[in-house]
Amino acid sequence: MSLDLRELEEDLREETDVCVIGSGGGGAVAAAEIAAGGRSVVVLEQGPHWTAPDFTQREEEMLPRLFEEAGMRQTVDGSVIVLQGRNVGGSTVHNLCYCFRAPEPVLRLWQREFGLGSLTSEALAPSFEQVERNLRVKRIREDEINAMNRVIRAGAEKLGYSGLVAKHNRENCVQSGFCILGCFFGAKQSMLVTYVPRAEQAGARILASARAERIETQGGRVRRVRGHAVGEAGRTGRSFEIGAKVVVLAAGAVASPDLLLRSGIANSSGLVGRNLHLHPQVMLAGIFEESLQPYRGIPQSYVVDEFIDLERDPRSGYYLMPVTGFPTLTAAGLPGFGCDHFRFMKSFDRLAGLLVLLHDQSSGSVRPGASLGSPEIRYALEEGDRRRLARGLVHSAEVLFAGGARRVVVPYWVDPLVLEPGDALGAIEERGIHEGEIAISAAHPQSTCGMGSDPSKSVVNEFGESHDVSGLFVADMSVFPTSLGAPPQITTAALADRTARHILERWPELAA
Amino acid sequence: MTSASPLHATRRGFLRLAATSAALAAVARLPVASALSANGSETVFFSAYEREILTRVVERMVATGAAEAPAVRETRTIEVIDRLCLGLDPEVSGVLPTLLRLVEWGPVLFEFTFTRFSKMSDAEKDASLRAWMTSRIGLRRRAFYALRNLSYLGYYSQEATWALIGYRGPFRLDEEAPA
Repeated sequence: MSLDLRELEEDLREETDVCVIGSGGGGAVAAAEIAAGGRSVVVLEQGPHWTAPDFTQREEEMLPRLFEEAGMRQTVDGSVIVLQGRNVGGSTVHNLCYCFRAPEPVLRLWQREFGLGSLTSEALAPSFEQVERNLRVKRIREDEINAMNRVIRAGAEKLGYSGLVAKHNRENCVQSGFCILGCFFGAKQSMLVTYVPRAEQAGARILASARAERIETQGGRVRRVRGHAVGEAGRTGRSFEIGAKVVVLAAGAVASPDLLLRSGIANSSGLVGRNLHLHPQVMLAGIFEESLQPYRGIPQSYVVDEFIDLERDPRSGYYLMPVTGFPTLTAAGLPGFGCDHFRFMKSFDRLAGLLVLLHDQSSGSVRPGASLGSPEIRYALEEGDRRRLARGLVHSAEVLFAGGARRVVVPYWVDPLVLEPGDALGAIEERGIHEGEIAISAAHPQSTCGMGSDPSKSVVNEFGESHDVSGLFVADMSVFPTSLGAPPQITTAALADRTARHILERWPELAA
Repeated sequence: MTSASPLHATRRGFLRLAATSAALAAVARLPVASALSANGSETVFFSAYEREILTRVVERMVATGAAEAPAVRETRTIEVIDRLCLGLDPEVSGVLPTLLRLVEWGPVLFEFTFTRFSKMSDAEKDASLRAWMTSRIGLRRRAFYALRNLSYLGYYSQEATWALIGYRGPFRLDEEAPA
């Protein structure tokens, strides 16, 4: 059952076994599994509960509905746009459905350096399998690869670069291409149409437009969550108070540490909100002779993995991933303004975007901001990561030219590079990557409440439980000890599944 | 971030902006110029005065040089921006009205000319906006991109602009599949 707290006429007080904060890739899974295990569950989601008919395929309507700060959330210095969901289903409603398990070399790094000996592929397999079954994960079919992905694949194969057709979580996809604005056709198997209904069927109550503002403890145990209904323009409504024996915090790697810091709990390590990784991404655009209609069909089906070798180096590398946008998103990523900008924009339907997604060693932090809706996010690229991003752009340009691009635009905000076949690509590395000179975005904030066995070097243990507060668990991308080095949807869900199983197994102790 | 980062606003930069803000307080009290008086405003977030400045900014941001491009004033571009800003957290949107006044008086405050933005020729307006885009003060550049991206959101949401860029709009089940 779902209730939008903006409709409340009086303050709300409830008691439940488990309160889950957040309904995205981690929270929805935890809620569904714990409710299915027989515990009463209340889910708090600060965004509204939109459903497929609300996804109008129009940017001006969907960006404010689905994204934090209408897609304009950014780091304090403005150098990185941070995309995060703000709705029931979280970022899974707008993500592009890449489905990767946690890379084994990264799991081994976590086992070795963070004392997470139980996080093996074998131990996680039941959770991965369960999640993939419920999200209907499958390989994208050849006939589902759109024209933009085809030219990128052709370019990569011509150069002999390693790549793969990815797995995804869509069912009966009609190839609308509007995945990033929510699926009007209900084909995307996001949390909204999988785990959230499953949680509701098992008796969980979904409270939408409910912003958790404080987690309270008593005697070293979690006790209740307080907050307010929140509506448009940050307007607050009635207050709520949810008493719970267990709290599962799954609000994402920005909001989760923000809430812990505001609550003044679970931070004996001093690491809450630290160690932020973003998987930062930069993109360039190839302009082709023929129309590609890049905005139709599955946006990301192919991925170039030539430049990430996690066996050799589990801490760095990058993928090249196709990227598309609708007019506004595309316009925002292109340089200049006025007629200078339009000379690129008029090629909109002939553009193929290719982004470099970095497995970053750079890090940043999250701190409470001046208002509840706007935490302060800081992030700075290290020199090695700058070089890798620049090198990635060179490889991206190679791929696009090999795929038939007539021009490649490297979208530096001022004096963009416009390259033609045969031009020296070293110009990109000479120019380099510097914050504020080129668009950098991030859709995978992570690692701000890291897992580990040592309470002085981590925030939660191998099951996501706080080292400091009994009954407090974290079940989102915050718990990754390092950058994951792969799209995180499946790993986030699998770790949340594992956390839920652990809570059920330990329930008598947790409830005592 | 390295000290070479152009976004790393210097202390001097902040002081200049703070000084500008003080000047803005005075600017905000200036009488609205007759050329910028209410003109059939349908905006709620922006006042008629701010709406007119915004319109003139958007006109230059989305200039195409193409005769067939719809004029900003013939579309609902500004209403779309207004609606978006109305729904944003005031922490995010609250600065925009002040920013528009700053753009309007920017040529006087930053470039020491005697002409307000709205009174400038198109080429002069572009030069003024370019000064924002390339400013050494990170906050000025961020302000520029906020206005730029709002302009694109408003303008390219208008169906009349889609043919210009070869965009087919929302997908319909009876649509012919792309090649």
